[in-house]
Amino acid sequence: MESWFTKSAVIGAAAGFLAGLLGIGGGVLKVPSFVLFLKMDHYRAAATSVSTIVLSVGAALILFNGDGNVDWLSAGIVFIGAATGAWFGAKHMDRVPEHLLAGTFAVVMAIAAIRMWF
Amino acid sequence: MDISMIVGLILLGLIAGTLASTLGVGGGIIFVPMLVAFFGFSQIEAQGTSLAIILPTALLSTVVHARAKRIHWGVATVAGIIGVPLALLGAKVALSLDQETLSKVFSVLLTVVAVRMGYRAWTLRPAASSPSIDRSGDSAGS
Repeated sequence: MESWFTKSAVIGAAAGFLAGLLGIGGGVLKVPSFVLFLKMDHYRAAATSVSTIVLSVGAALILFNGDGNVDWLSAGIVFIGAATGAWFGAKHMDRVPEHLLAGTFAVVMAIAAIRMWF
Repeated sequence: MDISMIVGLILLGLIAGTLASTLGVGGGIIFVPMLVAFFGFSQIEAQGTSLAIILPTALLSTVVHARAKRIHWGVATVAGIIGVPLALLGAKVALSLDQETLSKVFSVLLTVVAVRMGYRAWTLRPAASSPSIDRSGDSAGS
C-alpha cells in the first residue's frame, strides 16, 4: 500500500469524525496535515481539503437533519453572506496584513472557548 | 424572524466567509459559537445549521478549485470516502451526548485553534518592530 494512500485515509478518517462530532468542515485538521504529511503547498492543501468536506459534511448533515437540528432558513441567509465574504476575501486578501487577521481571530476564538466551557 | 436577525446572520456569513478565504480556516469554527452566543441556538442546532451552511459553500469552492486544477484528486477521493462513515459516527456521538459535554469538547477545539492562530500571528508579525537580534534561522523549526 502506498504511503500517501494510508496517510490520506488516516487524515480523512480523523477529520471526518471531527466534522460529524462538532459540525465543522474539518479543514482545521486537514489543511495543516496535508501540508505536513503529504508535502502539499498551502493552496493545494486548502483546495483538496474543501473537496473532501463536501462528502463528510453531506453525510453528517443527513443525520442532523433527521433529528430536526437544522435551521435551513438561517443557514441559507448565512450562506448568502458567506459566499459574498469569500468572494471579497479572495479578491482583497493581500490588502490586510495576515498577522492582524490571525491575531484578531486568535483572540475571538479564545473568548469563545472560555464562554463555551463555562 | 425579524430584520435584525436577518442582518446579523448575513453579517456572520460575511465575516466567516472573508476569514475562511483569507486564513483558510473558519467556517464551522466561527458559525457554531456565534450561533450559540448571539442567535439563541442550542449547541446541537448550531452544529446542524453550521453543516448546512458549509455544504453549499464547500461545493462552490470545490468547483472553483477544480477548474483551477488545484485539487489532488487521489488524496481527495481516499480522504473523502473514508471520511463519510466516520462523519456519520461522529454525528451519532454528537446527537447522543448531552449539550453541556458537547460544548466543552467544542471549547477544546477552539482553544487549539486560538493557540495556533496566535502563534501564526506572532511568527508573521513585522520583524522591523522588534529591535532584537535576528533569530529567524534557529527558531524556524521549533
